[in-house]
Amino acid sequence: MEDIKKIDKPKRNILKHLWLMFKWMGKHSLLLIPALGSLLIVSYLRTLTPLFGQHIIDVILGDGESKLPVYLTDLIKADTLPKQLLLAALLILLLSFIRALFIFVERGISGLFAEKTAYKLRNNLYKKLRDADYYFQSHSETGDIIQRCTTDVEMYKRFISEQSIEVARLVLLVGFSIYQMSRLNITIMWVSLIIAPILLISAALYFNKVEKMFTEIEKNEAQMTTHVQENVSGARVVKAFANEAYEVEKFRNLNRKYTDSDLRLVKKMAFFWSSTDFLSFIQFFIIAIIGIIYASKEIISIGVYTAFLAYAGNIIWPMRQLGRLVGDFSKTVVSISRLDHIMSNPGEYVGEENKLEPEIKGNVEFKNVSFKFADSKEDQITDISFEAKQGETVAIIGKTGSGKSTLMNLLIRLLDYQKGQILIDGVEIKDIEKHYLRRNVGVILQEPFLFSKSVEENIKISDSTSDLNKVSSVAKIAQVHNDIMNFEKGYQTLVGERGVTLSGGQKQRVAIARMLLKPKPILVFDDSLSAVDTETDIQIRRALQQEWKNSTVFIITHRITTASEADRILVIENGQIKESGKHQDLINRDGLYKNIWAIQSQINFQIEEDGE
Amino acid sequence: MSDYLQDEENFTSQKFDWLVWKKIFMFMKPLKKTAILGLLAVMVLAITDIIYPYISAFAIDDIIRPNIDSTVVDFSKLPLLITYFVIFMIVQATMVYLFIIYAGRIQNELAFSIREKAFNHLQELPFSYYDRTRVGWIMARMTSDSRNLSEVLSWGLIDLVWGVFLMVFLTIFMFIINWQLAIVILAVVPILTAVSIFFRKYILKAYRSIRKVNSKITGAFNEDITGAVTTKTLVLEEQNYHEFDILTSDMRKQSIRAHLIQAVFFPTMLFIIFIGMALVYNVGGNMVITGAISVGTLYLFTNYVWQFFDPVNNIANFYARFQQAQASAERIVSLIETEPDIVDKEEVIAKYGTIFEYKRENFEPLIGKVEFKNVSFKYNVGETVLTDFNLKVKAGQSVALVGHTGAGKTTIVNLISRFYEPTAGEILVDDVDYRERSIGWLHSNLGYVLQTPHLFSGSVMENIRYGNLKATDEEVIEAAKAVEAHSFIMKFEDGYNTECGEGGSRLSVGQKQLVSFARAILADPKILILDEATSSVDTETEQLIQTAINKLLKGRTSFIVAHRLSTIVHSDLILVLDGGQIIESGTHRELIKKKEAYYKLYTNQYSEEMLELSKR
Repeated sequence: MEDIKKIDKPKRNILKHLWLMFKWMGKHSLLLIPALGSLLIVSYLRTLTPLFGQHIIDVILGDGESKLPVYLTDLIKADTLPKQLLLAALLILLLSFIRALFIFVERGISGLFAEKTAYKLRNNLYKKLRDADYYFQSHSETGDIIQRCTTDVEMYKRFISEQSIEVARLVLLVGFSIYQMSRLNITIMWVSLIIAPILLISAALYFNKVEKMFTEIEKNEAQMTTHVQENVSGARVVKAFANEAYEVEKFRNLNRKYTDSDLRLVKKMAFFWSSTDFLSFIQFFIIAIIGIIYASKEIISIGVYTAFLAYAGNIIWPMRQLGRLVGDFSKTVVSISRLDHIMSNPGEYVGEENKLEPEIKGNVEFKNVSFKFADSKEDQITDISFEAKQGETVAIIGKTGSGKSTLMNLLIRLLDYQKGQILIDGVEIKDIEKHYLRRNVGVILQEPFLFSKSVEENIKISDSTSDLNKVSSVAKIAQVHNDIMNFEKGYQTLVGERGVTLSGGQKQRVAIARMLLKPKPILVFDDSLSAVDTETDIQIRRALQQEWKNSTVFIITHRITTASEADRILVIENGQIKESGKHQDLINRDGLYKNIWAIQSQINFQIEEDGE
Repeated sequence: MSDYLQDEENFTSQKFDWLVWKKIFMFMKPLKKTAILGLLAVMVLAITDIIYPYISAFAIDDIIRPNIDSTVVDFSKLPLLITYFVIFMIVQATMVYLFIIYAGRIQNELAFSIREKAFNHLQELPFSYYDRTRVGWIMARMTSDSRNLSEVLSWGLIDLVWGVFLMVFLTIFMFIINWQLAIVILAVVPILTAVSIFFRKYILKAYRSIRKVNSKITGAFNEDITGAVTTKTLVLEEQNYHEFDILTSDMRKQSIRAHLIQAVFFPTMLFIIFIGMALVYNVGGNMVITGAISVGTLYLFTNYVWQFFDPVNNIANFYARFQQAQASAERIVSLIETEPDIVDKEEVIAKYGTIFEYKRENFEPLIGKVEFKNVSFKYNVGETVLTDFNLKVKAGQSVALVGHTGAGKTTIVNLISRFYEPTAGEILVDDVDYRERSIGWLHSNLGYVLQTPHLFSGSVMENIRYGNLKATDEEVIEAAKAVEAHSFIMKFEDGYNTECGEGGSRLSVGQKQLVSFARAILADPKILILDEATSSVDTETEQLIQTAINKLLKGRTSFIVAHRLSTIVHSDLILVLDGGQIIESGTHRELIKKKEAYYKLYTNQYSEEMLELSKR
């Protein structure tokens, strides 16, 4: 919860985020150099175009002097006017070809740069999420994280490749235009800069304000779509309570609210674009009038006058754009900080590289182990000690929240205990490399996750070299083979989001099959038979006993029948071992286990009584 | 997400589908006036766009050049020019304002009415529709498709009209001023258009395939997060990362391709424009030399070359997006035209009213007797679920349905609720085939508690009141008290005004169940359907739920898809179902004595519950 709050309010540390922005680019940032270089050439060439008009009007068709750079006028020299015109036209073509070429280079490179950076970022995010520790994962909301990995990455990518380049482009264009104007006439140059700052500021203010309206519109849209979503997914309730008319009325109101808020934005938009258009034309108007007067008095030539009109356009139209980009930057900063929340997570494998990889036989010992979650005050597990020899079966029984699963999470180091020791064949597990440890301790979860692949691939996931024979043989042990064969496509049936939805019990059995593919010295059933009926449960365990004689097995269970056959039974309550021993010992001792046993017999007793 | 994309493919046809558009244009009818005004505005805008460079040409030819040639500077024509310019600015700004307003209005109102129509239609569709249609599909129609379509029909269409007008006016205007230069420019326009359309189509296609990869990547991130613990326990980190890398590499490849297409597109267009420009300078310049045209006219035509750029792009853009829009239109029409397969007969509607407007005065009071008479049923796809099913339930009886998954429990409940109708035989409620009465009549006497309680976003109060919209606050609280929900609600800071969150996410499972009980009891139904939850809740809540259920069932005919031992034990009649047949029926005592199916089920399934009970 704490983390989520932190996410909502990103710290706006601009410098830090700028640094992150470049850090994530890595060596790809070098690509920015040719991109910006091309941009420089493109912008310069663009500001030459009006000068060609000027040259043609003033020099070829009139008798004034050229404002084109000398190296270009040299190329247009010819004895007749038509020849000069032809040369000028050809030169225009040549330069525009060069310009087109560099535009291509610039866009191609910046695209390359953007995608390479985004690729790297996506992969890194994936790795970060994958390696994140249990705490991070249990404290994150899936939807929110996915949003970060998609929308925020997109935002970041667009900013580094499009928006920042756009800023550079506009700044260069304005800069070169001002430079060219200063070569033509200083006074008109100054005059043509009057409105630009006003446009820039009003655009920045406008887009800032509109941003708030967007938030409101999005909120209204979300409300509306939520209503549809709930209406559709709750169709049973709507119909059963006969509330169709009410639903329609409610939807109409939400639909209206959303539409109206969007229409308010449309009004704002219409006002902004028309009024800034008006302002821009005032600027043109002023330049035109001064230009006309100057040209009439022959202070400037006609060609220069037309060039000024073109440059004014180069300065005025980009201003609104520039104003919008200012707003985009602040949005990007938010995205970067949201991404940083994931990227700055060190993950659980830091410092694991040089740890031990001892041979694991399956002797497990818990020695006074205590554990508490970082955000809780009380111990989740207190002073747990027990031993399991190779090949033994230990059952752990206790109610929800008693700490059974935590115990097993400690064994595979999804969580790390604070006090005591867990030893496997005499080696403390904190000294064993995590991947290695988990490869040797197989855990089957209560709610196992199946990947959206075929059933076969899901089972093969733990050993891709096995063939279908092997896969079906483990599926038989896990008592899921018949279920699979009943599917239309058998082992090729797709499961998960895009395929068939398996029942809880089927999922558990597929997960068991998956684990059985590769023998492991230690095996943990974390309540992973809970959705399987008792008979199947027994069959699976019988089969296991034959196949996996040498493995140490931990079974977390609710079922007394399951527990009763274990070599040792641990009864866990409030994170402590309350009772332990064999079934026969425990039912002769007062305690929770005996109670459960008694109730179980009571069913039979009750039945007999009923039967009389 | 992935379904949506598949659907998108299914509906993409190449031909212009006149029928679909006719239906969509029905939505435009009320907006006719706005559309005409909007089109007028862009027409004027197209004209001002042409006039603007003309003002400068006028200044060059009629003010500057005469002044240069004569010795006296004459500014007498300047006021005229200023007048032109001011009028131009005002007209231009006004038209921009109006065009945005009108286009925005069309877009929003069109989307509004499409959504409204679609939503209303959804309410009329029977439950079977929701069973076979994914929520995502419907949501996409209501959001992206309606948005897509309304955007194309407002901004897209107006941009297109502006472009066409501008090109037509420009052509006429150029021919009036100088036909030779006009021909020079017009020679370039078709090339420009062809190139633009060619690229637009490719770009759109590229983006579509990027979107597809993107949704796969989103799915992969989702698996990365939700399957994290499984990945760790199976040590699949490297393997999964490798698969993810295939996706992101594909994304990179496709995106770079899209970038490159775009990187070629714009400069190509630019170069073509410059060809036109060079031609104008060369041809026009020579004409100035011979005195055929003035410098001002030359200036005008160099400007006009540029003016073709935007309209050509707009047209190409519209062309490219049109196909997409048509696909959206087809999907929306397909939703709106889905025929509901469970409807009241005409004479029933005449007597009892529609689902939006009941004629309550004609509703007979419902007593609660339910009978299945030789009922057979099969879902649209799949095998027959019920064959010749018979069952008689007296008013006020509680019936527990037990059996394995697929035994037919849910089907029976669906049939009683008339979410589905029997394919053969009939279901009598109070001795009358329920098809002789209206859906509204049955549903306003029906209560339904789902296995996973469905709450709406809104306050607790609103959620309970959903059972009876006319209930006062006091009555709501009364209902909550009756099912033991009052005390936990009062423990919330905001009491009954506590927001439940989307889908009731801010409440625990047990709390949601109690709220849905309160809702059902407030509806005071004669027939109650209770699909019991399987999920375990803490002991305290479990007891509350137990008491609440007993209260809920009192005095109503009830059908319970039962999972709780105590509920089953207490019901008047237990039906053990298998393969759509009643294999055993009777009370708990009777069935236990038999020591057959029920006994076996009972001892297997409920031993765990015994364990839970033992902890109390």
